[in-house]
Amino acid sequence: MNASAPDGRQALGKRWVEADGVHIDVRGLLPPAPLVAILDLVGSIGDTTPVIVHHERDPQMLYPELAEIGWRAVRIDGAPGEVRLKLERVR
Amino acid sequence: MKLGAGAFIAGAASRLLPPSIPFRFFGAAVAYHLLAWIALFAGAQGVPRFAGGLGWPLAALHLLTLGVLAMTAIGASLQLLPVATRQPVRSKRWPAMIWWLYTPGVAAVALGMGMPAPRLLAGGAVAVVTALGGYALLLARNLVGARGMPVIVAHGWAALGSLIVVLATALSLACAYLGFPGFERGMALSLHAAFAAYGFMGLLALGLSYILVPMFALSAAPDERRAWVSLTLAVIALLLSAAASSGVAQQPLRMAAIGAGTLAVALHLRLMSVALKTGMRRELGRSFTLVRIAWALLVASLVAALGVAMDAPFAGMATLFGILLIGGWLLTFLVGILQRIMPFLASMHAAPGKRLPPTPSSLTAQRPLSIHFVCHLAALGLLALAVAIDSERVASAGALVGSAGAAAFAGFFLIVLRRMSAPDLKAGRRQASAG
Repeated sequence: MNASAPDGRQALGKRWVEADGVHIDVRGLLPPAPLVAILDLVGSIGDTTPVIVHHERDPQMLYPELAEIGWRAVRIDGAPGEVRLKLERVR
Repeated sequence: MKLGAGAFIAGAASRLLPPSIPFRFFGAAVAYHLLAWIALFAGAQGVPRFAGGLGWPLAALHLLTLGVLAMTAIGASLQLLPVATRQPVRSKRWPAMIWWLYTPGVAAVALGMGMPAPRLLAGGAVAVVTALGGYALLLARNLVGARGMPVIVAHGWAALGSLIVVLATALSLACAYLGFPGFERGMALSLHAAFAAYGFMGLLALGLSYILVPMFALSAAPDERRAWVSLTLAVIALLLSAAASSGVAQQPLRMAAIGAGTLAVALHLRLMSVALKTGMRRELGRSFTLVRIAWALLVASLVAALGVAMDAPFAGMATLFGILLIGGWLLTFLVGILQRIMPFLASMHAAPGKRLPPTPSSLTAQRPLSIHFVCHLAALGLLALAVAIDSERVASAGALVGSAGAAAFAGFFLIVLRRMSAPDLKAGRRQASAG
């Protein structure tokens, strides 16, 4: 299912849902838009559904923010040149 | 491939500068912060009508500008500018060497001014200028070929250009104390003050704010076109102020500079206000209360600058301008941002080996920050009052209260360091490296 952000909300990244969780592609966005988009999505999830992030660089500033809200990041396989993360709620 | 969180975050951390680099600059800044207030206490007699010249007030001023503001700017920019330029700092040895040259150099400059001892001052100035020259090269290397966020990169270039003016005039002023005058003293002083405070430090603060404020408020990046206009006006203001320093049409040029600077600041603050109003995080705590106060005092410094330019009939106008600009705007902004950045960076660096990195809030000790908040604002208020009523006693009280605040801030820093290197984190790191 494609759940791309509507027009005018490109800064929130492209979003869609697959069996392994809710995906968000923030490639091409300038800082701090990727951070904001990912935290916006994570904040909207009320259950344990994982979030899969498609990024072009290692989002170092994201980890303290995730820790603060009880989530963690695990790197998973992605396309060449892509940093793909699985975000999971841990508390 | 699925990596454990610890291994992954360790990989992320390896792309940062090692924590020892930014934290050594922050640590030195915290120490010089306390020493600056103590030096101000030692020279309280000369504070209310301070107008330059060797002595402890000048030493206190340079402990603040070189020891706190520039020291933090070096540590923070080396850590944060790569976010905007998308280029890592290529050398890890250079920042360490710069610190080893710069930190004792600042101490020598301050002691040379305070005692006074012109030869010690000149030796310290050579060390400081060499270290800042090295930093300028490091900064230039990072800015060359930067990708993305051009307006922030442009702020970096403008700050770098200002730094060169500051270094040239600093050398000229220091050599004059040894009997080797360079530029005419009045012109050198005027250029030095404007390009150090509004140029180098001010433009770095405005530029890095375009990353930091949206990042902490969780808002969209500010409107880039307006940020460019703000930067252009700020550069025009600096150029007008430089032209005024030559002595030709001094008053109209200074007033034009203040006008352009005010417009630049107004645009910048409008962008910051939009970021704070539209951000996902509305409650930003005490640190951003300080940042907001700093912005108000930046505007107040421009009003005071107008008073100086128009020769307002008040003997303490130039001193009040200095207090508003250095203590009110730059120092208040810096301690506000620093108390947010340090736990954040500590969390990023403390992460290896932990299932979850420690949260920035768990690394933050609120009590010392509360004490610092009250003391810092009270100290600034007392200093302004001391200037207004020309009172040495009130200046002494302000310096004492400021020292207490700086000691509390140092306590906060030490607690961040202790919590960052807590035993379970060290054990986690060993486990991660063994795995």
